[in-house]
Amino acid sequence: MLARAQVLPDNRPMGERSTIAPGSGESRGSVSGGGWPGRGKRSEALLVAALRLGFLALVLLVWTLAARAAPPGLFASPLAVARAGQGMLAEGRLLPAVAASLTVYLTGTGLAAVLGGVLGLAMGTWRLLGRTLDIYVLAVAATPRVAFIPLIIVALGLGMQAKLLVVFLGAVMPVILNAYAGVRAADQELVEMAQATGAGRARILAHVVLPGAVPYLIAGIRIGAAIGLINTIVAELYTAIGGLGGLLAIYGSRFRMAEYLAVVVVLALIGATVTEGLRLVEKRLLRWRDSDGRNLPGERR
Amino acid sequence: MALTHTLLSVSGVSHGFAGAAVLEGIDLALNRGEVLVVLGPSGCGKSTLLRLLAGLMRPDTGEVLLNGAAPRPGQGSALVFQNYRLLPWKTLRDNIAFALPGLPAPERAARVDEVLALVGLSRFATLWPSELSGGMKQRAALARALAPRPDVLLMDEPFAALDAQARELMQDELLRLVRRAGGPGVVFVTHSVDEALVLGNRILVLTPRPGRIAARLPVPLWQGDPRAHPDYADLRAKLWQVLRSAVLNDPNSDFHRGQETGRP
Repeated sequence: MLARAQVLPDNRPMGERSTIAPGSGESRGSVSGGGWPGRGKRSEALLVAALRLGFLALVLLVWTLAARAAPPGLFASPLAVARAGQGMLAEGRLLPAVAASLTVYLTGTGLAAVLGGVLGLAMGTWRLLGRTLDIYVLAVAATPRVAFIPLIIVALGLGMQAKLLVVFLGAVMPVILNAYAGVRAADQELVEMAQATGAGRARILAHVVLPGAVPYLIAGIRIGAAIGLINTIVAELYTAIGGLGGLLAIYGSRFRMAEYLAVVVVLALIGATVTEGLRLVEKRLLRWRDSDGRNLPGERR
Repeated sequence: MALTHTLLSVSGVSHGFAGAAVLEGIDLALNRGEVLVVLGPSGCGKSTLLRLLAGLMRPDTGEVLLNGAAPRPGQGSALVFQNYRLLPWKTLRDNIAFALPGLPAPERAARVDEVLALVGLSRFATLWPSELSGGMKQRAALARALAPRPDVLLMDEPFAALDAQARELMQDELLRLVRRAGGPGVVFVTHSVDEALVLGNRILVLTPRPGRIAARLPVPLWQGDPRAHPDYADLRAKLWQVLRSAVLNDPNSDFHRGQETGRP
């Protein structure tokens, strides 16, 4: 209700906008604005930011109360976690671990995005290649990748290469499958339009098929990045103990819950930052979509 | 009229898919600056005919000649579709430039500016298709088709998705563009009798399943608003009669002969 007074000044630009792209602003407003069709975008953004802060405060409050109620040594309050985090920073234990984990995570996921993207797009482009490989990719994607870890350790040892491969294997599957699906979902009517202008196969691929696959590819990379972070920790727990996963193992086994939870918070921050970064990349690359995302093909998972 | 040369000619063309005949015994000819309307109910093979004319397919039998040779996609012809088919990830300007691949960049930009001005979209050149109205998208698609200066425009129910006002404006616009000196010949597919009468110099009525030519009608050159002309209503009634019997003679039609007596 507080924000309602701020709605009015924003009404006009919104009305103007909807004459250019019918429904682009209004339908969005009526979905998230709960029946106030005139709500401006900016005032809604302010309201959402305020509500998010309020929710965070609520979570911290519940967390604090839960820590007070739990037996000592099994849980830690947000304040204790913050102090533990400060202490770990001061002792120089946190940053090296973050750097080690980020190296594994970003390298493995980055390789998965590039190589998986290239392979998936190639599989979609050359039908025979796709039909030959797709059942194997699906089979590997359906196998829990953790099952490969002992094999990887035997083959590559406990070092960096093994960790990278665990992350890569986890992140690459959704990238391949989504890029493949994106090429195969190419809009045949647009392909026909391009053919009618005299465009050949290469030109159709570059201007019609591949741009149409980009939304799928990005969705695949987002899913891959989430799995990549999980596999980073798994790799650090299973191979040479190190990085943030290593810290989790050390503090978890010694019941140092404040330090343990500080590592969890850092992991959450890394995950959220990468996801948000990818969302910004997506917004930039797909800026041709209208605000309802009506030109967005469905995400395949 | 004796000096006009035939741009596009179709003789004895039949075509089918999976054993079912879609078009049978089609003959037609088109001259420069002329609008030939192909009128027919759904299932008469209108879209197949346009694809044959564009060179996207070869007919099973018969011959299609554009400027005396078998048509090749993008060589002298351009297609305009009902659903615009703009590339959503290209701005208006780049969508039009897409139809001009062979040109050096400066000439290409100049030609894009020229056709944008022709259809009145110069101010919107940098917008994405998702930011345009239906009428603007269709004008953009028309600009893209005109950009390589085709001899023949092949239009597949291009205005069917537009509202009534936008449709009439686009019809006027199309006539203006075609009647300029050096304007292209147009094959215009529609199932609207009124659109056929307003736009066409000649009308070809097709039967459904398979598409055969049911009638050929010349249309007078209207002075002013065609709809206000005394001959318009007569011609409209005649055309409607031909179209109706074409549909009623189709054994697969949803409409039955019995309904004919039900109407005054």
